[in-house]
Amino acid sequence: MADAERNASLLRKNDKQKTIQKTVRRGRSSSGNSGTDYCKSDKMNAVVVDSGAFTIKAGHSSRDNPTIIPNCIMKAKSERKRLFIGNQISECRDCSGLYYLLPCERGYITKWDVQKPVWDYTFSKNVCPINDYPVILTQPLFNFKLIQDCMDEIFFEEYEASSMLRLNPTDMARLKYNEDHNLTDDTPVLIIDTGFSFTHVIPYIKGNKYLKGIKRLNVGGKLLTNHLKDIISYRQYNVMEETYVINQVKEDTCYVAEDVKAELKLAEKYGKKNNIVKNYVLPDFNNIRRGYIQDPDKVDEGAENCQILRLNNERFLVPEILFHPSDIGMKSMGIAEAIVKSIFLCPLEYQRALARHILIIGGNCKFPGFKERLFKELRSLLPHLWHVNIYQPEDPILYTWQSGSALLSYPNIKSLLVSKKEYDELGSALIQQRFNHWNNSIVVENEEGKTPSQPSPLEEFSLMNNLKGKSVFGKHDIGTSSSETTTMTPTPTSSRILINLSEILQEAASEPGKEVVGAPGTQSAAAAFAEIVEKNAIITTASAAALASGAAVLPNDNENTNEQTDQDGITAKKIRLRDRSTSQDFPLVPPQEEDPFENLVLFPFGRNSYI
Amino acid sequence: MTISKSTLRGSNRIKENDKRRVVDETSRKRRQRKVMELLESDNYHDDPHADLVMSKKVPKFEDNLEQRTTRTKKKERTADYYQNKFRKNFQQLVEEDRNEAEENNRVSYMDIKCEESTLPPRHFCAVCGFLGQYNCLSCGTRFCSIRCMDTHMETRCLKWAA
Ligand SMILES: [Zn+2]
Ligand SMILES: [Zn+2]
Repeated sequence: MADAERNASLLRKNDKQKTIQKTVRRGRSSSGNSGTDYCKSDKMNAVVVDSGAFTIKAGHSSRDNPTIIPNCIMKAKSERKRLFIGNQISECRDCSGLYYLLPCERGYITKWDVQKPVWDYTFSKNVCPINDYPVILTQPLFNFKLIQDCMDEIFFEEYEASSMLRLNPTDMARLKYNEDHNLTDDTPVLIIDTGFSFTHVIPYIKGNKYLKGIKRLNVGGKLLTNHLKDIISYRQYNVMEETYVINQVKEDTCYVAEDVKAELKLAEKYGKKNNIVKNYVLPDFNNIRRGYIQDPDKVDEGAENCQILRLNNERFLVPEILFHPSDIGMKSMGIAEAIVKSIFLCPLEYQRALARHILIIGGNCKFPGFKERLFKELRSLLPHLWHVNIYQPEDPILYTWQSGSALLSYPNIKSLLVSKKEYDELGSALIQQRFNHWNNSIVVENEEGKTPSQPSPLEEFSLMNNLKGKSVFGKHDIGTSSSETTTMTPTPTSSRILINLSEILQEAASEPGKEVVGAPGTQSAAAAFAEIVEKNAIITTASAAALASGAAVLPNDNENTNEQTDQDGITAKKIRLRDRSTSQDFPLVPPQEEDPFENLVLFPFGRNSYI
Repeated sequence: MTISKSTLRGSNRIKENDKRRVVDETSRKRRQRKVMELLESDNYHDDPHADLVMSKKVPKFEDNLEQRTTRTKKKERTADYYQNKFRKNFQQLVEEDRNEAEENNRVSYMDIKCEESTLPPRHFCAVCGFLGQYNCLSCGTRFCSIRCMDTHMETRCLKWAA
């Protein structure tokens, strides 16, 4: 185990060195004609950055795999003179009691004094220099405006990126999934992204996120590690300060049981009959740098003076929180329930197809048995006649980064990028809307059979005409894009501007055949729009565009949900029925006559310390 | 709350339980919130370098930035600049998002949070992790056996009831 890990890290290092050489060569050849030469080759190259809350995956798109950089600054007890940023932790001799400075709170960057140095490190010339390449950067769903402002400023003003595209990790992953499976772009796909901070369930319909079907479960790898830390500290040694080590324990020993009741029965057995219980040798950072599971049949001399953790039901009960957050008192549905709920919140005609195309990504997928268990639960919760298909990529952590190449081969990728010049001219607010609308513009163009063009910033705004019933976050609201009309109730102050704008936009829309660049209507529309954004942030492109095309923008929630109530009723009933049967055959454990932990001394919380 | 036979078996324990304060619903919720906070925390211990002056000074990678090929060096900002300019805590960000979502009638960060499960909760012994059908009379924590109950009484129960 330890050897494999070492080899892997060695390989990574070699790989890294190779790519550095490559990038340096590239950098030289491209210097001078800044940022234009990538257009010459048929496939664009870029620096792809999947900036997660736990690790940053960054690298040039020509590479097979990115460099993985811990997204944190660490302080070691053993070395008081320095900080460890990102990968520098490999230089740290003793990783016990590591203190973490994490830039994210619940997955969103709030500590810029941490994020900035880590990014500085990431984009330094020996790790992943940006040079003149476009930057593809991921951001979490609903990334808050202030955070996006700051990202814009850092990348455009400080790193002087020539152009940038920001998108959700799942936007990118969907493209690769479609490409790898030869699916059309409008295939409905349900993506489950279960990472460090949270787990998202996101249905994509016609290439767009279906907002009303999205679910977020506030359980991620961080919570699982902290929980494991807590129960080990209560039952064995105080490891509350050993997040770094216990995270490795989690990675090395935890798995998802297919059937918890059966697994618990096995874990209750004694001696050789119990093949779940494992001894884990903790690192001492002297002879052992990374802990490992002891082979019960071999004499382990190396671990003679090391502390050993005994892990039994912890191995599968910790990941169980993903499926039943109520196990730790969280009032939230589990991952399988959330997926079923999400599917039934989507329009009826897409539900079956979503169950057929389920993609799971993120670090928590790596628990052995995760996919099998998820399939088992979904199979029993979803209608029998439906096909349920779950696809887990070979590397669920790197999949998002790897999908960068699928994104870059997208025909109109160039029009999605925002250049530094556009940022300077338009400012953060407008380019953020472009980022948030990117899925829509692709779909709209495909539907109309347009050939991809390289629009000027003004032309981009003319695309607003096409954005029917789309919200500011750029997801297609299928329920409202039909011809049904709902009454608009603009606030008194904004109504006048809205009407004026709608007239202008209607004018522009009435000349569809006309070349859009430089059309007077569009220009004034863009100007008016920019003015409005300044004056009144209430109005969004979506509302303006919807007004222009006469479609309704205010989604009628009641109408949509009414259709679903029946469905929900059925599912709820079904779930309840299942429960009764489960709780009945959930056996009550008789008071144990022989305690399996007889030889295990319980150290109450905080009394004994590891290391 | 279930009173199990095994609890009734020892009379000493009943007396002990009589003396024990029953933790009310609000305190139990507060404890649960604390547990959830702990599960979201970055560190359990204090900054080991807190007493050092240098700890605030994060090394910069200026050397590297300077050597970027076509970069001008006009805008080099410190990390503190961003921290001060974009200082808002998570709650404020969520609140802003909710207000903006309401005005634009779009789905917000808060809206997509998972609802409560319709499945009944499962009960595990807080001490050993196996199924636990009994709960503590004082604080409601689950346990499976007398042995585990005793451990609970000596450890986490007292701590939280205080
Ligand atoms: Zn127990
Ligand atoms: Zn108690």
